[in-house]
Amino acid sequence: MSEPLEGEAKKATRTLEGAGDTIHTHKLRKEFEDLVAVDDLDLRIGGGLLYGMIGPNGSGKTTAIKMLVGLLKPTAGKAYVLGEKVPIVNNIARIGYMPQEMAIYTDLTVHENLELFSALYSMDRETFRQREHELLKVIDLSDREDSLVSQLSGGMKHRVSLACTLIHDPEVVFLDEPTVGVDPELRVGFWKYFADLKKRGKTVVLTTHYMDEAVRCDIVGMMRLGKLIGEGTPRELMASTATSDLESAFMAMARKAGT
Amino acid sequence: MKIDRVLAVARKNLRSLKHDRRTIGFLVFMPLLMITIFGYTFGGDVKNIEVYIVNLDQAPANQSISAAIIADLETRDTLDIVRIYGPSDAGVDPIGIGRDNVKDAKIWATIIFNETFTQDATRLAGESSSQSALVRMMVDGTNPNIVQAISNDVLTAIRTALGSRAFVTPIAISTDLVYGKDARFIDFFAPGVMGLAAMMVTFMLSIISFIHERSTSTLERLLTTPVTEGEIVAGYALAFGLVGLVQSAVIILAAVALFSIQIVGNPLTVLLIVFVFGAGIQGLGFLLSSMAKNEFQAIQFIPLILFPSILLSGVFWPIEAVPDVLRPISNFIPLTYAVEGMRSVMIRGWGIGDVWLQIGVLVVFACVMLLLSAYSLRKRR
Repeated sequence: MSEPLEGEAKKATRTLEGAGDTIHTHKLRKEFEDLVAVDDLDLRIGGGLLYGMIGPNGSGKTTAIKMLVGLLKPTAGKAYVLGEKVPIVNNIARIGYMPQEMAIYTDLTVHENLELFSALYSMDRETFRQREHELLKVIDLSDREDSLVSQLSGGMKHRVSLACTLIHDPEVVFLDEPTVGVDPELRVGFWKYFADLKKRGKTVVLTTHYMDEAVRCDIVGMMRLGKLIGEGTPRELMASTATSDLESAFMAMARKAGT
Repeated sequence: MKIDRVLAVARKNLRSLKHDRRTIGFLVFMPLLMITIFGYTFGGDVKNIEVYIVNLDQAPANQSISAAIIADLETRDTLDIVRIYGPSDAGVDPIGIGRDNVKDAKIWATIIFNETFTQDATRLAGESSSQSALVRMMVDGTNPNIVQAISNDVLTAIRTALGSRAFVTPIAISTDLVYGKDARFIDFFAPGVMGLAAMMVTFMLSIISFIHERSTSTLERLLTTPVTEGEIVAGYALAFGLVGLVQSAVIILAAVALFSIQIVGNPLTVLLIVFVFGAGIQGLGFLLSSMAKNEFQAIQFIPLILFPSILLSGVFWPIEAVPDVLRPISNFIPLTYAVEGMRSVMIRGWGIGDVWLQIGVLVVFACVMLLLSAYSLRKRR
């Protein structure tokens, strides 16, 4: 093991075990009729990290996120976000959630969508104006502010969706498959922006089934059949499985986990 | 085109139906419901119109023509004769009581035979005079169909009563309309159409937009913001209540401009009724929409709710024309109260204080629907 790798691993471990985690779950479980979607999940995610949940479709990533943002009731176990038990109420304005689907109003303009969500967060006019201006630059849609969302391309809609999630400058951002159906160029832009968010002290939790892009995350949690089968920095995960990419590392972890 | 693929698609669709019991139920139940309601409604006559009769005729019972007419009226069920005041009741001012009850819309009409009715009819018999013995009626003219039905029934009774006596007497009916003087069918019809239009639009808007909200996951996004379920529901109710209100205003204006309908009461009271009604219907749409698994199931609710409302709530024909078996249902249809309330204001000129029952029922309906909608949203989590 090389020096920097060890250092990074140590840092990751410290963050994982540190007190006052931004997100903390204990034996979190969700069953749908005869399916166990999330199986006694124990998660600890420290503040200011870019955390990636990876795993194939149906591994429980979305269900886990939905429990964290309060959209699904856990069958058993506990989950805390920003120190508050889910479903969080008091701190709800401090989180932002981007669903897997576009989840914006296609019959409204870009501006009207952003304005709606800013209003739901009771942002004052001036702050909203500033924030909108900033975000439109980031998503490169400054000139499309007054376009109906239905007239935008798929990629543009996706960017509007991200902007709606971030309009209130949340401290913890949950992004469910933010890069699905996003073209490669835009994807690079998205990842840059996620890194930027982290730099500004935000905690970003995202899911992806494109395992290789998760190397950009600080910590990666590997999910399979509702269980966490591996967690650590990307390098750590690759090193411990003697693989050179996250996909192979995931396969190796899956074999180790059995079945 | 390959027939195999066509069949495969057809089979897929039939299979998805097979897995959807409610849709199968709908496919069978809906036509059944429609044919039943249509059959009953169009087959029936106006029945059980509540009236008072004031018979002051002094003729001895065995000679009295008025008594014969009343006896004949009693053989049919067009009129429901709630009370008969005889000559001995003259002291309590039966005509005044009758008028007041018509004014309060407790009964539709008071039919009056004066002291000399039989005497006049007999005296005038055979004379080719232009005079007639008069049957006076004080009728609530809010509903032209009702006025017509009462007149027809009394005429039939007069003919029957005279026929048995085998002489011809000129007896005429003089009708005194308490409300709705010069009311035409359009006057009766306009409030009904307003109620119906408000209902159709708010119901469809609400059911469709909410299912859209769910299918595009915007609802999920909303639920992760500080907005509460109650706020979402109230926002919807406000929006669609206003839509109903604007729509009604347009209908009123158009009806006044094009058909010069009469609005005796305050149009603002009418709009208030529409708004409360629209908010309630919105809640109903929201609630039903949340019970549907997909767009198709949601849309099934539209005819299921609209058809009974259209047929049983007195929009096109009076509640009195609804057969007895179905009439209890009318009392559970909010549109019945909206239309009755608006009609009372527009034709009878009643104020809020007079239509408090209708407004009250609609307010309760709206509150219950909105609370249930908010609860159903909360339960989704």
